[in-house]
Amino acid sequence: MLISPPLSVQNVSSVPSVISVRGVTMRFPIAKRYRELVLAPFRPRKVFTALKSVDLEIEKGDRIAVLGPNGAGKTTFLKLVGGLLLPSEGEILVNSHNTLHHNASARKSVGFVMNEERSFFWRLTGRQNLEFFAALDNLSDDSLKERSQELIRFVGLEAHIDTPVSTYSSGIKQRLAIARGLIAEPEVLILDEPTRTLDPVACEELIDLIIERLHKTSRKTILIATHRLEEAMKLCNKALIINQGRAVAFDRISDLTEQGITLADYYRRHVSPS
Amino acid sequence: MKLIFCKAIAFIRRDFQIESSYKMNFVMTAVDSVMIVIFFYFLNRLVAPAGTHYMSRYGGDYLSFAVIGVAFARYFQLTLRMFSDSIRAAQVSGCLEAMLSSQTDSFSIVLMSSLYGLISGAVQPLLILVFATVVMGVDLSHANILSASLVLVFSVLTFVAFGVLSAATILWLKKGDPLAWVLGGMGALLGGAYFPVEVLPDWLQKISFLIPITYSLDALRLTLINGYPLEKVAGQTATLGLITAIALPASLIFFAAMVRKGRFEGTLTQY
Repeated sequence: MLISPPLSVQNVSSVPSVISVRGVTMRFPIAKRYRELVLAPFRPRKVFTALKSVDLEIEKGDRIAVLGPNGAGKTTFLKLVGGLLLPSEGEILVNSHNTLHHNASARKSVGFVMNEERSFFWRLTGRQNLEFFAALDNLSDDSLKERSQELIRFVGLEAHIDTPVSTYSSGIKQRLAIARGLIAEPEVLILDEPTRTLDPVACEELIDLIIERLHKTSRKTILIATHRLEEAMKLCNKALIINQGRAVAFDRISDLTEQGITLADYYRRHVSPS
Repeated sequence: MKLIFCKAIAFIRRDFQIESSYKMNFVMTAVDSVMIVIFFYFLNRLVAPAGTHYMSRYGGDYLSFAVIGVAFARYFQLTLRMFSDSIRAAQVSGCLEAMLSSQTDSFSIVLMSSLYGLISGAVQPLLILVFATVVMGVDLSHANILSASLVLVFSVLTFVAFGVLSAATILWLKKGDPLAWVLGGMGALLGGAYFPVEVLPDWLQKISFLIPITYSLDALRLTLINGYPLEKVAGQTATLGLITAIALPASLIFFAAMVRKGRFEGTLTQY
């Protein structure tokens, strides 16, 4: 049976882990209603468990498709790896830096490409945005301008970069988001549903950009949350399925293909209610 | 150090670029400043004869008293709100998470997000004072600019401390910041922005001496109107310094705790 058991992945490779997720649980407290505040002011808040006891090792150079239904915990998982959230239990090591205790060091290794279209200053141009975020990533003076220009070329934004972000299409904004994620030359790039709002052509162009320019030239470790299985097939070498807050499967896509299992079957098997 | 400076410049440049894209904003600030002075000019004609004895400490002129009070009270209120406003604006615009995922720590982000506001906010008190002296005849010819500047620095530091505390409160409560209301709204009422605290009943006067703006405005008036040197307003300045020495570390600790809490609970970007 190829499909790995829940909660862990068979890591038999000698390639070192760049990300170690150990027993991670993430609980979000739910704000009390007025009634609860009055009737039970000292009772602890209820919690929503978004991730439960997740263990996995991600190797250097892996391209992981993070799959799962809406609300499964994919974005929470990515934000935990990116150090934007801290786990309620367990620990995450990014390049041996614990996100709990050495959050800033861990974040240095990670570039985050958000699916939030509004994560730019709309009244500024793409270049002004990029240079601002480059300064936040510790670049200064000439290196800031050089790196920004390099990334503008890298993601193919030369024609749009000096117009305000408010005039950009979703595809252009995603390219700019990728450029921003790459500013600090991170070892790990996290993309949270990068093609969610894109039309088929823009989607295809972005996938080409990731394959041709990111993977082939830089061999970065990439975590990409997506609902598009064909995109996962094209971009990734491993698939992680998260369902109801649990990492229910994590396998090499090539192993699945060898055994004649399509990604769609694999997904259905782990996500559909039995 | 160079990196911190570059980041500070990046924040100031960003906010200047955004602000300058709203063309009417500066014009409206200038109009607002002129209107304030005109309002108090006419109010002065009404109240001056009756209230002169209350003004004796500040040279007896209500217009100069009010103009300085309003100009700086507005600036201090702005300082108080600046940090929580910048957090909320970043939350609402969706940029907070992007900034927090960068290699700059959250405290620097909040502090530097407020730099431009603190600098540009100083334009309005300056406009008010210039218009009041040049057009409305307010006499600030005896002003001790050095002493006033030092008092202003101490005052701004005090309000920065409370501003950071206010920002931490916003991270915690999301909306409805009691601190800004107490120190801002109540401060303007009880701190002597529009009338001397001596007008208040005794019990309210006691409360007014718990509010930092009371010391700031008193010292600023004495240095700008009467030309007092720093040693003559040492009591007020030392009080502001003491408040800052206690409030600033406390607010930094509270802010850091709220950021960590937000990362644990996933509420940093919620508003």
